[in-house]
Amino acid sequence: MIQFANVTKEYDNGLRALNDVNLAVQNGEFVFIVGPSGAGKSTLIKLLLKEIEPTSGKLFVDDVDLSQMKRRDIPFYRRNIGVVFQDFRLLSDKTVYENVAYAMEIIEASGKAIRRQVPAVLSMVGLASKANSYPSQLSGGEQQRTALARALVNNPSILLADEPTGNLDSATAADIMKIINMINHRGTTVLMATHAKEIVNTMKKRVVTFQKGVVVSDMEKGEYFFED
Amino acid sequence: MKIRTWKRMVKQGFRNLFRNRIMSLASVSAIAAALFVLGLVLAVVMNMNNMVSGLESKVEVTVFLKENIRQADIDNLDRQINSWEGISERQFISRQEALNTWKEEWGDKRYLLDGYNEENNPLPDSFRITVEKPEFVEEIVEKAKKSSMVEKVQYSKDVVDSITNIASTARVFGLMIVGVLIAMAMVIIHNTIRISVYSRRREINIMKYIGATDWYIRWPFLMEGMLLGLIGAVVSGGLIGLVYSLLEKRMSSSPAQSNLLSLFQILPLNIILYPILALFIVVGGIVGISASLLSMRKHLRV
Repeated sequence: MIQFANVTKEYDNGLRALNDVNLAVQNGEFVFIVGPSGAGKSTLIKLLLKEIEPTSGKLFVDDVDLSQMKRRDIPFYRRNIGVVFQDFRLLSDKTVYENVAYAMEIIEASGKAIRRQVPAVLSMVGLASKANSYPSQLSGGEQQRTALARALVNNPSILLADEPTGNLDSATAADIMKIINMINHRGTTVLMATHAKEIVNTMKKRVVTFQKGVVVSDMEKGEYFFED
Repeated sequence: MKIRTWKRMVKQGFRNLFRNRIMSLASVSAIAAALFVLGLVLAVVMNMNNMVSGLESKVEVTVFLKENIRQADIDNLDRQINSWEGISERQFISRQEALNTWKEEWGDKRYLLDGYNEENNPLPDSFRITVEKPEFVEEIVEKAKKSSMVEKVQYSKDVVDSITNIASTARVFGLMIVGVLIAMAMVIIHNTIRISVYSRRREINIMKYIGATDWYIRWPFLMEGMLLGLIGAVVSGGLIGLVYSLLEKRMSSSPAQSNLLSLFQILPLNIILYPILALFIVVGGIVGISASLLSMRKHLRV
């Protein structure tokens, strides 16, 4: 379970990105985080990755208080969270296969497990034939699928997606959403920050809308009602 | 960490080097160039040092003995001199030998000396002492003067002083230049590796997002930094060896040079190359590692 308890985040420049946010996400849920630019969506993701600290309030993930977590424990915490970004963030000097394998190497998985798991995950996202390509040789959709494969190869309990379809055309975006949905059906909690009205409206999932750092609506099977 | 993880990281270090070969090539050439300049100067300084030492070992003190000293006493004095500090060689020159040498030196004008023979030889017996270093001269002269058998001690104070001067100036100057160049090479290597790390700061960031520990990210970079330093060291060492052996061949084959004083003969290649290579490997390797570590610090803070 993910729980925000009165979380406020104020950046050094005085910008208040999140203001007294309370939000609970159950295990296995699929939640869209929507809102205009600057609403605090990315800040939410960064807080969950423990890249930044809340100014006040508490943040719990599976009953662990993130503010109490030691710096050296952060990598181990992050291994339980898959994350994909708008700009894919693949390792450019590694092939598709190596990018996915890297996530397993850091948890010191055996070579055998890697050779078994990586091809399986790659075919799951439909990239089996691109295993030896470098990110620069891939289309945007293929890059995002690689990122998804990397995010889910270690079976994380949470998937964070920060505008994962932002750089993709709508057909490719739909493909990506299918994969994310599939990951959710395997039991992974999905938190997806997005601008994509069309996607939100067709998925019929829980929608949490932010505006100026405040939760302005939280609806089951919600819609993207905010007009940019 | 598990053994397989270590293996993976070593492999990754090598692989990164190859995958980023344009950057690696640029880094290696920058490092090699910096070390090459350092190596050339080192070779010059080492040779200069050698010449100065040669010069220093040419300092001589001549001790003239009083007349009519018994052979036993001369032997005794010889043993005494031998026990003094800073003597590299001593040679007894009897008055007869001295006269012969004198006559030889005068060549075709030797007839002028024909009047001198064993009976009326005006020259005294003497010891010619070669000193290890000019610093010892004063002490040796003092000791020699104390002996009752000694008539006079002769040495050229000016020459000794100026040799001492030249030697210490040359050494200090050489050391300073080498020190400055080592520092410069270190800065260049450091910056080169910092750029190479900086060019991949995004990758470091990504690795952190996926949950790699700091050390897991560091090790391959460290390996890479060390390899860049070592390859740069070996390349520049090889170049120095090549250039120096060409120079050595030229110096030894030209007859005009071989007639010069042995003082100005250059040191053989192996004496020059091994210390330089050792220094390169230490500087290249250590700076490579420390530069990787230092440059990564900022990028790991995510």
